[in-house]
Amino acid sequence: MTAADPTKPVAPKGARWWREIAWRHAVGIVMIVICVVPLLYVLSASLRPNGSLTGSTDLFTTIDFSNYTGLWGRGYGHWMVNSLVICTVTAVGTVLMGAAAAYAFSRFRFRGRRSTLTGLLLVQMFPQMLAVVAIFLLLISLKDVFPILGLNSTLGLICVYLGGALGVNTFLMYGFFNTVPKELDEAARIDGATHGQIFWTIIMPLVLPILVVVGLLSFISTYGEFIIAKTVLQSNDKFTLAVGLYQWASDERNAPWGLFAAGAVLAAIPVVVLFLILQKYIVSGLTAGSVKG
Amino acid sequence: MRRSILSALVVGAASLALAACSSGSGDDSGDGGASSTASSAPQLSGTLTVWVDETRIDSFKPLAKEYQEKTGVTVKLVQKASGDIRADFVKQVPTGQGPDVIIGAHDWTGQFVTNGVVQPIQLGDKKSDFEPVSVSAFTYDGSVYGLPYATENIALVRNNKLASDTPDTFDDLVTQGQGVVAKDSTVKYPVLIQQGAEGDAYHLYPLQTSFGAPVFKQNTDGSYTNEIAMGGDNGHKFAEYLQKLGKEKVLNVDIDGQKAHDAFIKGQSPYMVTGPWYVNDFKKANMDVTVLPVPSAGGEKSLPFVGVQGAFISAKTQNAILANDFVVNFLGSEAVQTELYKSGGRSPALTSALDKVDDPILKQFAAAAGTAPMPSIPEMDSVWQFWGKTEVQIISGKASDPDKAWDTMVSNIQKAIDG
Amino acid sequence: MTEQQVAERPTAPVSGDGGSRRSPRRLRGDDSSHARRPGSGFWVKLALVAIVDALGVYGILTAAGVHSWWIVASLALGLVIVNWAYFSRRAVPAKYLVPGLLFLLVYQLFTMGYTAYVAFTNYGDGHNSTKSDAISAISAQNQERVEGSAAYPVTVVLDGGELGFAVVQDGQAEVGTADQPLQPLDGATVEGGKVTAAPGVEILQFAQIAQRSDEVTQLVVQVSDDPADGTLRTQDGTTAYVFSPVLKYDASTDTFTDAKTGETYTPSDHGNFVSADGDVLQPGWRVGVGFENFTALFQDSRVSSLFVQVTLWTFAFAFLSVATTFFLGLFLAMVFNDPRVRGRKIYRSLLILPYAFPAFLSALVWKGMLNTSYGFVNKVLLHGASIDWLGDPWLAKLSVLGVNLWLGFPYMFLICTGALQSIPGDVMESAKLDGAGPFRVFRSITLPLLMVSVAPLLIASFAFNFNNFTLIYMLTGGGPDVVGAPLQIGSTDLLISMVYSVAFESGAARYGLASAVSILIFIAVGLISWLGFRRTRSLEEL
Repeated sequence: MTAADPTKPVAPKGARWWREIAWRHAVGIVMIVICVVPLLYVLSASLRPNGSLTGSTDLFTTIDFSNYTGLWGRGYGHWMVNSLVICTVTAVGTVLMGAAAAYAFSRFRFRGRRSTLTGLLLVQMFPQMLAVVAIFLLLISLKDVFPILGLNSTLGLICVYLGGALGVNTFLMYGFFNTVPKELDEAARIDGATHGQIFWTIIMPLVLPILVVVGLLSFISTYGEFIIAKTVLQSNDKFTLAVGLYQWASDERNAPWGLFAAGAVLAAIPVVVLFLILQKYIVSGLTAGSVKG
Repeated sequence: MRRSILSALVVGAASLALAACSSGSGDDSGDGGASSTASSAPQLSGTLTVWVDETRIDSFKPLAKEYQEKTGVTVKLVQKASGDIRADFVKQVPTGQGPDVIIGAHDWTGQFVTNGVVQPIQLGDKKSDFEPVSVSAFTYDGSVYGLPYATENIALVRNNKLASDTPDTFDDLVTQGQGVVAKDSTVKYPVLIQQGAEGDAYHLYPLQTSFGAPVFKQNTDGSYTNEIAMGGDNGHKFAEYLQKLGKEKVLNVDIDGQKAHDAFIKGQSPYMVTGPWYVNDFKKANMDVTVLPVPSAGGEKSLPFVGVQGAFISAKTQNAILANDFVVNFLGSEAVQTELYKSGGRSPALTSALDKVDDPILKQFAAAAGTAPMPSIPEMDSVWQFWGKTEVQIISGKASDPDKAWDTMVSNIQKAIDG
Repeated sequence: MTEQQVAERPTAPVSGDGGSRRSPRRLRGDDSSHARRPGSGFWVKLALVAIVDALGVYGILTAAGVHSWWIVASLALGLVIVNWAYFSRRAVPAKYLVPGLLFLLVYQLFTMGYTAYVAFTNYGDGHNSTKSDAISAISAQNQERVEGSAAYPVTVVLDGGELGFAVVQDGQAEVGTADQPLQPLDGATVEGGKVTAAPGVEILQFAQIAQRSDEVTQLVVQVSDDPADGTLRTQDGTTAYVFSPVLKYDASTDTFTDAKTGETYTPSDHGNFVSADGDVLQPGWRVGVGFENFTALFQDSRVSSLFVQVTLWTFAFAFLSVATTFFLGLFLAMVFNDPRVRGRKIYRSLLILPYAFPAFLSALVWKGMLNTSYGFVNKVLLHGASIDWLGDPWLAKLSVLGVNLWLGFPYMFLICTGALQSIPGDVMESAKLDGAGPFRVFRSITLPLLMVSVAPLLIASFAFNFNNFTLIYMLTGGGPDVVGAPLQIGSTDLLISMVYSVAFESGAARYGLASAVSILIFIAVGLISWLGFRRTRSLEEL
């Protein structure tokens, strides 16, 4: 869609609007209801002092914020900060390393390129049933050498997550990099740009949408990950949100479901806010398209 | 040249930084602080790492402080999720990274012992100070592996607002409950026994034992053999009874613990079979409750399992002396057992502390206790699963022939135990 | 270091884009003439590599200090690679690949390697640690307190520099060490049944005892010259008891002997001490067992009866999960890719909500909502129907797919939204102008172009769902169970959760078996994916 496209921002009127646009709103509304109902259920549980996740079917019969105020005495603030730090660093690291790798795969032809690509994909398919045991052992040995990368360390956990930086995301970016015309690089190279300059100043801005998507995906999956995190992190003040919430939920008899629900509702906010902020970059690919024209 | 100087500088700086980290991050609990204060008042120093799950950690926080003030030893409490604490302990002790002490339930003993991750505890002459069932619960192959601090068992809890006297048999109790349901529109269930999709053999066990079908044969000293005792005619009778309760909708698979708890608090049932863990909630809801033994369904006395909580010492602890002192001398003292009873709401395992319990409800629970601890053999996990799921299938009517389902279960359990 | 390599070399032939081809202007000594010359970038690179080198050298020194030769070797290799990649002119692709690959090597490949190693051992409950751990555990567990013996208040002493116990027996103070059975200790002061002072020996205070915890608890003092009388040991440094070992380890023959029956236990190939008539001592230790784990699953008659059913469902689940989430995600992405739709921002934000909640929480919520008697779906949405969503074998399968769709479509929606941006709008416009209908445009233009970037993700998503243990475990636990099945395997169990049942829930954890089956599953999924991936090659050349 070029910038000169005259139809772009203008919405059609009358019958044509009904035919081309209205159904999209209908789809949107239906989907939003489907998405939101289970979450309203959680929200409702979080507003009941002794809420449970399986019991009541009456939504919002009581509105009480004691679960929300109760969160702060339990280390929830720490967890939130930890989660944000860990996920942000992991997301940025994943984007940088993944983009670099995608650039290499997309722009250079080298021996072992195809097999490395395939290998990356295959590595992701390994069932991680024993991952926790292996990572635990690895971190014990690392702790003797680099204490900061050992158990119960935020940085240690980030490094474990960065181990998965190349992988599916690289493919997503690789595909997107391929759509950026190589003539652009050529032109820049003739102008004397180094490969580094081409990467940072020409390619990266053009692939911004996919970088943001990958960053977001990485952020979200790290945000919800608790299996590795609960092995690595051992003290309450180091927990991430997912680990903390998991611990609450794992109490078979007296699980504080009200607190849990409140914690989960608040936990979803950063992700939604992040998405709201980043959304315009994702869609700004439309402008990137104009370069291609 | 330039680079080598530069990197030498960086190496130096980085090494310093790392060295600083290594001394700082080794123990987050402020190990350094403890040793510096140690010189002033108490003589001891050092750190004991204690694993405890989220259900018990609040009771142990003040104790850790108390022990530190008393002895100078830092007790570092590590909170583990109750779903993971046991498996993590088994995995981590051999690496040398496990804790010195782990707080847990006695039915972990078998797995811990067969993995060699705990060491025997010498109670010596103190042994007789504890309730016998609590010590035999932690006994495995003749040695004691844990120091008991609390016992718990389920019983019948009655909402005195809805029923004031309780019949002697379970059938009569159901009839009475159904009468209350018919009379009072807020009451929906004659009696609540929690189940859930995975089943809950633990909460049905009092009924099962009343048919004379205990899970394993017991030796005279209370320890279990590996011989399954719940098969045969008595088992069949119980299975048929389950089917009957399922058909009458007295038992409902959809009622899990949470649901039963909520319904009872809302006054939807005169009776609930449950343990002391919900008592605080009942009190908070200003309920007037009485705790009674579960009436017999099959003619014999109903005997709920006794669960015992206690402390194990890791086989690989570097601080055996301190760990022993903390576990045997400190946790085993009357003052601490009383404190744990007050914060945890369970009967103390130490007889002298138990005798001083003044809470009527806890006393009633203790009176309804059986003499059989939950079995602690390592295969118990799979026993529970077959057991619970078969009961669910009988209750829900998926297994139409209860006798056959029960026999299949017994043979499946046997196979699982034989490996 | 870098400068010597500036001399131009022809790079490997490249297919058209010539990534590492350099302009001939770039020669030694040309530093200042162009603004683009390695100014800031070079220094940043140098600083970063220097830091990495510093950390690496530090790591090598420390690792050597603690004798972690594996780490020393890996770090050295890593440093060589890093320095080669960043200071060699030839390794341009490596410059971009090395950081990610290093992390991958350390954290992911280690996991794989470790799993492969475990697959050939009997690691699991009962075979949890090393042989020496097993020996000390067996020894510790098989000490019996001599019946009727007293508890001795003990004083830990240093007798001529050697750790010993001082006790009071029949009013007589006695002292003994590891090599010296108890013998009278003359001139000792006894208070309250305990030795408090004695000439020639140093009495340790509790704090000192605690510091030598290991030595004290391992100290064994013979009660008399006759070993059969038993030995004194203490666990708490204040009270000692007389023990006699039930099982005695003999290091020279590497056997345990039962003190009463004389039965000997010798180490077996499977990491246990076993007696002649087959009695096994627990715990055992970890040993290699060859391919046993790989065949065990197939020899287990309980498994073979259910294997086909579970495998079919696993494939169906993985395929349907990918298909449903992808098409719903793509559909929604296209619906809201039309710039004329107002409020797209809000729609998009709300659509990713299911993804923003931690997945295990959502699974729990859905489990509650699908409850037959009390669930929101039956009670409110269906006005009191009693549909057994998670209890009926087919409905449970449907529910699992439905919940997975709910959980998974935002991911596909996000990806497709991003990927759609890469499709040049003018291509579509011109197709429309040529009279192609919307479906035609989708089939012939949008989908193929999209597939270029998305196809590998679909393969990865297939593999992910193939092993989607968490969802099944949280939502149905694999249930509803097959009535009377000899394993706890149900209608929604995937291969991976079946392995879990076999390896972990049938009594004892068997990591060796779990690893072996993980590897078999990996080979199966990997092969399918590899074939699929080869097919996408043709797409990619578009």
